[in-house]
Amino acid sequence: MDVLKLGSYTFSSRLILGTGKFSNSTVMLDAVRASGAQLVTVALRRFNRQQAEDDLFGPLSTIEGITLMPNTSGASTAAEAVRAAHIARELSGSPFIKVEIHPNPQHLMPDPIETFEAARILAKEGFLVMPYIAADPVLAKRLEEIGCASVMPLGSAIGSGQGLATSEMLNIIIRESTIPVIVDAGLRSPSEAAHAMEMGCEAVLVNSAVAAAGHPPEMAEAFAEAVAAGRKAFRAGLMEKSGFAVATSPLTFLGTF
Amino acid sequence: MRALPEWLTDNRDTAALAAMLSPASSRSLETLAAESRAITLRRFGRTMALYAPLYLSNYCSSGCIYCGFASDRQTPRHRLEPDEIRRELAAMKKIGISDILLLTGERTVAADFDYLQRSVAIAAEEMPRVSVEAFPMSVSEYRALADCGCTGITIYQETYNSERYEALHRWGPKKDFIDRIETPERALDGGIKSVGLGILLGLSDPVEDTLSLYRHVRHLGRTWWRAGLSVSFPRMRPQTGGYEPPFPVDDHLLARIIFAFRIALPDTELVLSTRESATFRDGMAGLGITRMSVESKTTVGGYSVSDSKNSREKRDEGQFEISDNRTAREFCAALRNQNIEPVFKNWEPSYNGPSARINYEREVDRSASTITPETETCH
Repeated sequence: MDVLKLGSYTFSSRLILGTGKFSNSTVMLDAVRASGAQLVTVALRRFNRQQAEDDLFGPLSTIEGITLMPNTSGASTAAEAVRAAHIARELSGSPFIKVEIHPNPQHLMPDPIETFEAARILAKEGFLVMPYIAADPVLAKRLEEIGCASVMPLGSAIGSGQGLATSEMLNIIIRESTIPVIVDAGLRSPSEAAHAMEMGCEAVLVNSAVAAAGHPPEMAEAFAEAVAAGRKAFRAGLMEKSGFAVATSPLTFLGTF
Repeated sequence: MRALPEWLTDNRDTAALAAMLSPASSRSLETLAAESRAITLRRFGRTMALYAPLYLSNYCSSGCIYCGFASDRQTPRHRLEPDEIRRELAAMKKIGISDILLLTGERTVAADFDYLQRSVAIAAEEMPRVSVEAFPMSVSEYRALADCGCTGITIYQETYNSERYEALHRWGPKKDFIDRIETPERALDGGIKSVGLGILLGLSDPVEDTLSLYRHVRHLGRTWWRAGLSVSFPRMRPQTGGYEPPFPVDDHLLARIIFAFRIALPDTELVLSTRESATFRDGMAGLGITRMSVESKTTVGGYSVSDSKNSREKRDEGQFEISDNRTAREFCAALRNQNIEPVFKNWEPSYNGPSARINYEREVDRSASTITPETETCH
């Protein structure tokens, strides 16, 4: 069976959903259900034990069959992310941690140096580390070497909807990686998700594209279908691309060869 | 006076913003609103971050002509003692607040740095996120505040027109235009993670001030690249002094300023407080504003006074009059009606502490076996 393997965990769904930016937690939960996602990410900063109405973690834990992947969004250094990972593990019981370190809170670009350092520490501690990174092929290999469960390069800036602006670098990362490559951030439409899967990504993570859609649950479902279609296409093997038109069987005059 | 900073006249990338702000702009308010709304939705989603101010003290040493707390006003003066601060925090927590802004007047003997630092430490025990809007400080003072759990400061220049500034600030430490304009830089050097900037609309030419505010944001963003930046557009409100703003800004112009800022700075947090009416706030939610105050009290001790009928009568006048008087519950219901999720907690205390560059300096210090001077402790 074709499954996504992360550490010793397997998932039949290859769509990972983010849980921020939704208009309310009912819509968010409907979107999670409609997406069929089995892995969802939630920011530690949105865990609110004091006020149930403001908390994202409580509602998510009511859905059966999903695994939480807490993220460290808001951390700006490795030390902060490591502290956050410890708290997140305690609160959620999940072995997954999405290491997200953006020192500039405006453009939210991941810091490669701090991310590497946090990933190194957390992988050693036994976390299944899922680092959010720029589409940097060398950094991806470095993170693989230190025992990350996957790498999560960005398609384009978070919330930009610019799609697979980094596709050339993503192609190198996918070609060279021995761990799952999951495109995270920047996707706007299901067709882009399908494209990422056709390129050979093992999964995609989507948040804004669903949360900011006209009908989030419907869009979540559309992404699920696109991801499944893209995966199927990848496994089926796309025909070669060519820069010129090729007539059907131009060499039949040569007979069988 | 020392020379004005060079960035204040840097017109490298102000053309697009200036064009949007011009009364002769070819772009209608509707087109700006649509673009601003789309950018906000993509980048921030259908959410609104909420915070509330906590006035620690209304003692003040400055004579700002537009302020209800200016030192010549007859307002009774009061500062909160630690147990009163805890009572205020408890009352705020009850309504859901988890992100607070601690306020004082300009530095006085009654409300000095030590007082502020102790107050920050108390607040940080109770609230995930604590910011400060007080008086300009030194780098080492900011560093000490960051060590106690203060992650952000708010410091409005009020107006970037130095002549108007001189006229409006009659006496006191706030009279120093340059010192104030350099304050965000000292805060960031001290390890404060985010800075809130603003102009007090009504005091000076609003378009000119908006452009200068934009230059300030860009200057800080380029030079202190880790800095979190937010921008506020407070309009003058009626206050004890009775000062009438000579450059009143109507709803249309304020909306134009907010939309133009969102388009020019797609990633920057834009703040709208309870100074504005319920109608204006509800209307602007989702169109560009990403952070709002809620159920604010601008009096010292305002939260626990309204919380307990037996406590002392309201005895102070606020810094200014609140316009949106809705409770947090009512305000959140209005946001939810518009399909926007109110977010009270959007920060994690494990992210507190001085910003990265400061940490690195410490590590370097340690590895070089030099003695790291211990700054003031938190208690």
